[in-house]
Amino acid sequence: MKTRILGFVGLAAVIGAAVFGLVVVPADLNQGDAQRIMYPHVASAWLGELSFGVTALAGIGYLWRRDLRLDAIAHAAAEVGVLFTAFAIWGGMMWGRPVWGVYWQWEDPRLATTALLLALGIGYLLLRRLSDDPARRATRAAVVGIIAALDIPIIHFSVIWWRGLHQTPTFGDPSKLLNPSAPGLFVIALMGMLAAFTIVWCYLMIRRYQLARIEWQIEEHGRLGRISAARRAAALNAVVQETSE
Amino acid sequence: MSVLRRGAATALAIARKDALSELRGRQASGSTLFFAALVLLLFGFALGPDSRRLTEAAPGLLWLAIVFGGLLTVARLHQLEVEDGAMEQLALYPVDRRAIYAGKALAGAVAMLALGAVLLPVVAILYAIPIGSAWLPLITTVALGAVGFAAVGTAYAGLTVRMRAREVMLPLLMLPIVAPLLLAAVKATTVALNGDPFGELGAWLQLLAAFDIVMLVAGAGTYGFLLED
Amino acid sequence: MPQTTIYVAPRLAGTHENPPPAVRAVDLARLFGRSPALAGVSVTVEMGRMVALVGPNGAGKTTLLRILATALRPSFGALHIDGVDALRRPEIVRTRVAYLPHATGHYDDLSAEENLRFAATMLGWGATEAGPVVRDALDEVGLTPVARDRVRSFSAGMRKRLALARLLVARPSLVLLDEPHASLDGDGMALVDRLLERWHEVGITVIVASHQSERVARLADATLRLDGGLVAELSGSGIQADLSWPSASGAPVPAGVDR
Repeated sequence: MKTRILGFVGLAAVIGAAVFGLVVVPADLNQGDAQRIMYPHVASAWLGELSFGVTALAGIGYLWRRDLRLDAIAHAAAEVGVLFTAFAIWGGMMWGRPVWGVYWQWEDPRLATTALLLALGIGYLLLRRLSDDPARRATRAAVVGIIAALDIPIIHFSVIWWRGLHQTPTFGDPSKLLNPSAPGLFVIALMGMLAAFTIVWCYLMIRRYQLARIEWQIEEHGRLGRISAARRAAALNAVVQETSE
Repeated sequence: MSVLRRGAATALAIARKDALSELRGRQASGSTLFFAALVLLLFGFALGPDSRRLTEAAPGLLWLAIVFGGLLTVARLHQLEVEDGAMEQLALYPVDRRAIYAGKALAGAVAMLALGAVLLPVVAILYAIPIGSAWLPLITTVALGAVGFAAVGTAYAGLTVRMRAREVMLPLLMLPIVAPLLLAAVKATTVALNGDPFGELGAWLQLLAAFDIVMLVAGAGTYGFLLED
Repeated sequence: MPQTTIYVAPRLAGTHENPPPAVRAVDLARLFGRSPALAGVSVTVEMGRMVALVGPNGAGKTTLLRILATALRPSFGALHIDGVDALRRPEIVRTRVAYLPHATGHYDDLSAEENLRFAATMLGWGATEAGPVVRDALDEVGLTPVARDRVRSFSAGMRKRLALARLLVARPSLVLLDEPHASLDGDGMALVDRLLERWHEVGITVIVASHQSERVARLADATLRLDGGLVAELSGSGIQADLSWPSASGAPVPAGVDR
């Protein structure tokens, strides 16, 4: 019940932030209305990174405690993270088209980083799909989650430096650089959207975790059931043999 | 024997065993070398025949070839454990598993260093790169790249070797992780070949070293868990 | 021919007065995906005993041996080896247990001697001590003539002998063998029997699963029969097993919890 309220609050927050970003805040001086997509785009990217952090921490927790609930959290965070990251890339491309004239260009460090993040996230999810045994799956996923998270800061640095310690960006038309006409409102819009998305993120995480827990409980129940069934069958067999002797 | 000495003895014994297996394993490592060289040749057909374009792209092509060869190398170092079920024995020896990791990563790094060292002259010839005085920074870059790749490759190869679809899982997991390594190594190589006019080389080598250290620590910390069934 | 040198693990501190059982397994269960390979095995084996592990294919013998060797974690249940919690401190258990699995686990491109030298180093032998130990072990299993040959050229029987040699390089208090007689000719099987006798003589606990049941029965103190992942029958001395069901619902105890 509380989760449902959270969901509605999140939805309302997103709508509110969207309205604010689309209507209340004036258009960017240089980039025009195209700039508005930045609010959800940045928020998604940030939450994507947060998600992978959660996955890694839950992974460490699992390796330490061997509690499969932590693995369920890691899985949930990875799925939600991939969702937000994919949305961030889509947003980035939608933003790039009007501003740069192309959907993709390599000099924007954030776009390249986010693409790698998406690749890492999808790889994580594929790895999980290819493992059957829950314990093995959780262990492998934890290792990959940890290593991927450790790679992220290195990716950040390398991609930013890559752009050229001396080169001038060919796509950075100075007349197209960000130039908010009302800096205060701009910041509020950004923060507002971030807060709204974070609420939605929490909602999705809780729901996904609940789902994972149910899945896992069913699986566990099945495993216990099979063991009990094996024992009952053997007990029955023993009784039958005794009575026939 | 102190813990450190036993660990070093373990790691060296493993590295030595892997090196012997590599060298004697018929043409396995030779085949990998040849494959990487072939990749370089094929890039010529894919991007040529404009020599200038190829010369510009050479550092990137070199490192792509090293990465492809590296994937085969780290995979093979774990396949030899799985062939006859040796991995189970390895997991049961009363040794520090970080030492097992260190030994395997060492073997992998040496193999990749050899790969890179052989590919340098191949690239120099195919794409008309004057290596000249840049050989020292180039070898350093190759060494740092080899260590980093082997560090994370050993962990991921150990992880995927008993999985379904292991041939695709290893590259699938490795490529995004080594993207910054690739980036930095190519930059360092390019800069070194140009004589490093802006003094950037140090920064890139430091980035490579940082990657190496992070991955070695992460690998050593997690490899033990991967050995268990 | 002088008697085979068998290296035994020293007694653990505090166990000289009241030696703990070599194996104390409580409700061990293990699932692979959906199927329960072990559905709840509770057994206690006294130190120094030889136990023959029998049962039809798929009964769970290999799974049980692997769990005892700490090569596999049980899905449920508790295990103590020589009084040490095998699930919490497996690394201690591994210094005291030697395990012969189905697969021989050699490095094909190395020679027999190199394989054994490697094992000796992993098992803690120093560089100088390892040499004679390895040579004696190779001699004992009859592989001295081919010591320098690559294992790739070995037959299944020779690989098995090399695996047995690896057991001789260890210093265990518990030896676990999964089908040691398989792939061996008459001489080879006699070798296995000799080794079993020696381990027994020296006081090492042995648990052996073999289709050559008569050969083992001659030497064993007790026989444990598994069927369908459970203990079906028990006979002999020095061993106890819980043949009743842990609870009415048959639900097992979570792994690591000791009842």
